[in-house]
Amino acid sequence: MIDLIFNPLLALVLAIVTGLVLAVLFWPQRGLLARLRRARRMSDRVYSEDALKHIHKAEVKGRRPTLHSISGALQIDPNETAALLGRMTDAGLLVDDAGTPRLTPAGRDAALHVIRAHRLWERYLAEETGYDEAAWHGQAEEREHELTPAELDALAARLGHPTYDPHGDPIPPPDGALEPHGGLPLTSLPPDQPGRIVHLEDEPELVYAQLVAEGLSPGQIVRNATVSADRVHFWTNGDEHVLAPILAANVFVQPLPEEAVEPVGGRPLTRLKMGESARVVALAPGLRGQERRRFLDLGLLPGTEVTAEMRSPSGDPTAYRIRGATIALRADQAKYIRVTE
Amino acid sequence: MSALTTSDGRLASFQQGQPPIDKSPQPATGGPPTAETILATAARLRREVGLTFHEQLMEDIYADAARLADRAVTRPGEAERFDLDRSIDRIVTSRVWGFPMMILLFALVFWITIIGANYPSQWLSNILIGTIYPWLNNMADALGFPWWLSGLLIDGIYLATAWVVSVMLPPMAIFFPLFTLLEDFGYLPRVAFNLDNIFRRSGAHGRQALSMMMGFGCNAAGVVATRVIDSPRERLIAMLTNNFALCNGRWPTQILIATLFIGTLVPAWLGGLVSAAAVVGIAVLGVAFTFGVSWFLSRTMLRGEVSTFSLELPPYRPPRIRQTLATSIVDRTIYVLWRAVVFAAPAGAVIWLIANITIAGQPLAVYLVNFLNPIGLLIGLNGVILLAYVVAIPANEIVIPTILMLTVLMTGASGVDGGAGVLAQTESHQTIASVFQAGGWTLLTAVNLMLFSLLHNPCSTTIYTIYKESGSKKWATVAALLPLAIGLVVTFTVAQVWRLIAY
Amino acid sequence: MTNEPKQIPITDSGCAGCPMYNPGHLERLGVDMSESDYVVGLAGNPNVGKSTVFNSLTGLRQHTGNWPGKTVTRAEGGFVYDGARYKLVDLPGTYSLLSTSLDEEVARDFILFGRPDVTIVVLDATRLERNLNLALQVLEITDRAVICLNLMDEATRRGLKIDDRRLARDLGVPVVPTAARQGKGLDELLRAVNDVATGRSVGRPYRVRQRSAAVSRAVDELVGQITQVFPDLPNARWVAMRLLDGDENIAESIRSGELGQLSRAPRLEVAA
Repeated sequence: MIDLIFNPLLALVLAIVTGLVLAVLFWPQRGLLARLRRARRMSDRVYSEDALKHIHKAEVKGRRPTLHSISGALQIDPNETAALLGRMTDAGLLVDDAGTPRLTPAGRDAALHVIRAHRLWERYLAEETGYDEAAWHGQAEEREHELTPAELDALAARLGHPTYDPHGDPIPPPDGALEPHGGLPLTSLPPDQPGRIVHLEDEPELVYAQLVAEGLSPGQIVRNATVSADRVHFWTNGDEHVLAPILAANVFVQPLPEEAVEPVGGRPLTRLKMGESARVVALAPGLRGQERRRFLDLGLLPGTEVTAEMRSPSGDPTAYRIRGATIALRADQAKYIRVTE
Repeated sequence: MSALTTSDGRLASFQQGQPPIDKSPQPATGGPPTAETILATAARLRREVGLTFHEQLMEDIYADAARLADRAVTRPGEAERFDLDRSIDRIVTSRVWGFPMMILLFALVFWITIIGANYPSQWLSNILIGTIYPWLNNMADALGFPWWLSGLLIDGIYLATAWVVSVMLPPMAIFFPLFTLLEDFGYLPRVAFNLDNIFRRSGAHGRQALSMMMGFGCNAAGVVATRVIDSPRERLIAMLTNNFALCNGRWPTQILIATLFIGTLVPAWLGGLVSAAAVVGIAVLGVAFTFGVSWFLSRTMLRGEVSTFSLELPPYRPPRIRQTLATSIVDRTIYVLWRAVVFAAPAGAVIWLIANITIAGQPLAVYLVNFLNPIGLLIGLNGVILLAYVVAIPANEIVIPTILMLTVLMTGASGVDGGAGVLAQTESHQTIASVFQAGGWTLLTAVNLMLFSLLHNPCSTTIYTIYKESGSKKWATVAALLPLAIGLVVTFTVAQVWRLIAY
Repeated sequence: MTNEPKQIPITDSGCAGCPMYNPGHLERLGVDMSESDYVVGLAGNPNVGKSTVFNSLTGLRQHTGNWPGKTVTRAEGGFVYDGARYKLVDLPGTYSLLSTSLDEEVARDFILFGRPDVTIVVLDATRLERNLNLALQVLEITDRAVICLNLMDEATRRGLKIDDRRLARDLGVPVVPTAARQGKGLDELLRAVNDVATGRSVGRPYRVRQRSAAVSRAVDELVGQITQVFPDLPNARWVAMRLLDGDENIAESIRSGELGQLSRAPRLEVAA
């Protein structure tokens, strides 16, 4: 037996097999153990809450939820969906309106609770953790089923009772109704009319990730949008963006009268040449939470004069003279600081 | 889940289901206000004022600060920034000179440490082990101590403590004051500035360069030095990877093994160079692991921890050399002595005991070595080495003496003074080489020992320090087990591939 | 438009030279006051020579450790001036006190809850504007402050002229120019500290003006309620601003009544 183990080839093969087995079992998110835990969590309640959310969304958008749209959203087969809807009707969450499920007042409250949990949690992730924007939605999809109303109230208090989630969606108040964000898709913004981004649709996640990668976030002003059949051109934050229409349709903007838009102007701090000075115009909305506060505390406020002093020989952090101190900032943070041309 | 257990644990309060405080947004009408109404009013006003409050507050404060400063300061000449500072910065952060200067400066610090520590180390060892140790033995004999008592106290506890002090004290008392001087001068933040881009790519903070450098002196000190990193996630990364910086306690092992096994592979005149290259290679491998593991951690376990980066480059100031040296040397001496007494002394007792407690005529150590031998051989080491690493968790610097003692105990090889449980002190490399030969060592054993010395759990002082600094048993455990797991995988793979090629 | 609602609290009443500090909270912060009469906090931005000031004032009578439960280094030491024994606590160097980091939280909690008899704010005279940011924040919390205008030698070398008397008038607290590295100005600093500790000098600190009417109204409304619940609180305005900024620690201290304890009269056992 010992000799067998000391055959190096056999030992190596055994070790690799063991490693693979362990990986299959314990790999985060995709491993068997993670799947098992997720499946256990996917209880009846989770399905029913997801169904409520789906129906609520459909009602807000004026669409008719169907058995098939629900089973598609939940990724379970139509028979199971039908049984689920039956149980939800028995529980007084839904009524059957000639084949279309509709929310009862109790059902609407439950749906709003889940939406509130989802959006508050996204807000929390954006403000107080270091997760990437692309990870917020997926995490909130899980947490929304776990938070109790009392916990939500405490979380809301901690975050300062925010009214919007980081995608620009309104967070429903504890006992109130949900106001829609009131934007229209970027593709239907009239040419030459500026607009403020009020919402980035966070589903499907792949599309959302591309929007985030473009550097878009709610609050930014969009101008000079030109829509053609295969491309949408527009300017925001002093940069030109080009999106496929299918992506641009997931960006919602609120049209603004031309004169109401103050020229955001400016350029990112990173464009400053060494030795050049400029004044801060604004901190971009993409700079959030603790990082934003840290920058404010350092004295990076509108009107502050900033001079680029030197660049690291490895290329990245650049040291800026800010109110008498030399402070190095990384390019991926400095890009949020807009300075005069 | 990790978002719930972020560094400050603040979210925990809401998880435990605090009473909701916002049920009645309107303050109770009538009756005097209470603490609750204050909070309710604050919540309502916050919604009215909006989230730009912090921004407005800072703008107000800075506007007043600027106005007051303007009233108080007159500057006849517009000397924006001190010219000397600017000139120094031009050089130390220049594209051409920045990195060479840095490398030269740190090479100088290490060179001074190694050369400078030799003599006091020798001197301490002569006094503590050469003079006091026999004297203590004579005293014990004169006082009529039973053999086990003098053995445990003198051969076990005293010798281990003396060994740790003479090996660690001189380099620590030279290395750290030099660092403190560089810090006082203002150079270290520039190092962080120069290197930040490389650390950023692996999700870490430029200042980790500094804690890593400290780690080459002592990992526990390196872990404490991570305090300069003000961003929680990057600080944890720096703590968990500090062990990959080869510390002072491990350099002697590397140098000895490289000299005996690697240097002898080539002609004598090349030997010194090749063995030095091997040791440096191990240290560089450690740096590579620092980056690799930092990258891995920031994308797995530490995803979602908060990260904020800013790095002030303070003005240069002439260091106060005498005062810095005095306080820094005193600090380090106290620290090494504390560590020797708290961690090394018990280890010495354990080492002596396993060599001297006999079961059925055999010392306990023999059973342990035989038990560990198959595992050791599987990863290209042997049972003696593994046992030495287990009992020497408190202090890496006693690994080699423990290995020597245990090998002599197992094989009966001669040439090393002392006896069962007495940490071996040897002068000649030849004697040591012959002992290793008797222990059945091969080139593979040597290479894997060098790898394992780099890649195993940190010493218990460091684990304890990580626990104290992170305030978390979980992270201390990860810090202990992660490098050990990496070490086992690496040595195992090397051993199997080696054997495949060799046979 | 300083809407300062109250007179300088407590010290005027009865016992002028009595220590102010909050013994219960200091104990929790690990500061042992059994051997000292007064406690002094030392605040300042990073890299302003704060530790030089600390070393010069305490000499070898100092020891370092951690803040309880925090991995933030604390140094404390002592000195004797005019027969009174002082304990000097070195606070972490910070740019601000709005608790975005552990260091800021530690410094803030010490000044607010520990209620030191004097807080020395060390400023870099060559970078006054940046440093005044912290000083103004400290002055919002306590009127028992002394400004140590350090690195005056460097300022002179750079051709800056600083009118410290004007600054003192503007800030409403003593301002002492020093060059701690050369040991200059430290006697004056000690005298100013002693004057404030014993109540000989009473500060009327500068308070930051709110430029936005909406913010100002919100602060006033909240201050009104806070002063009704905690009548003797010396820094109701600052507490109001922290609440508006959503500072959960301050909200928690209101909920738990810890803040209320700050407004109690000082200890009476020390006879003059």
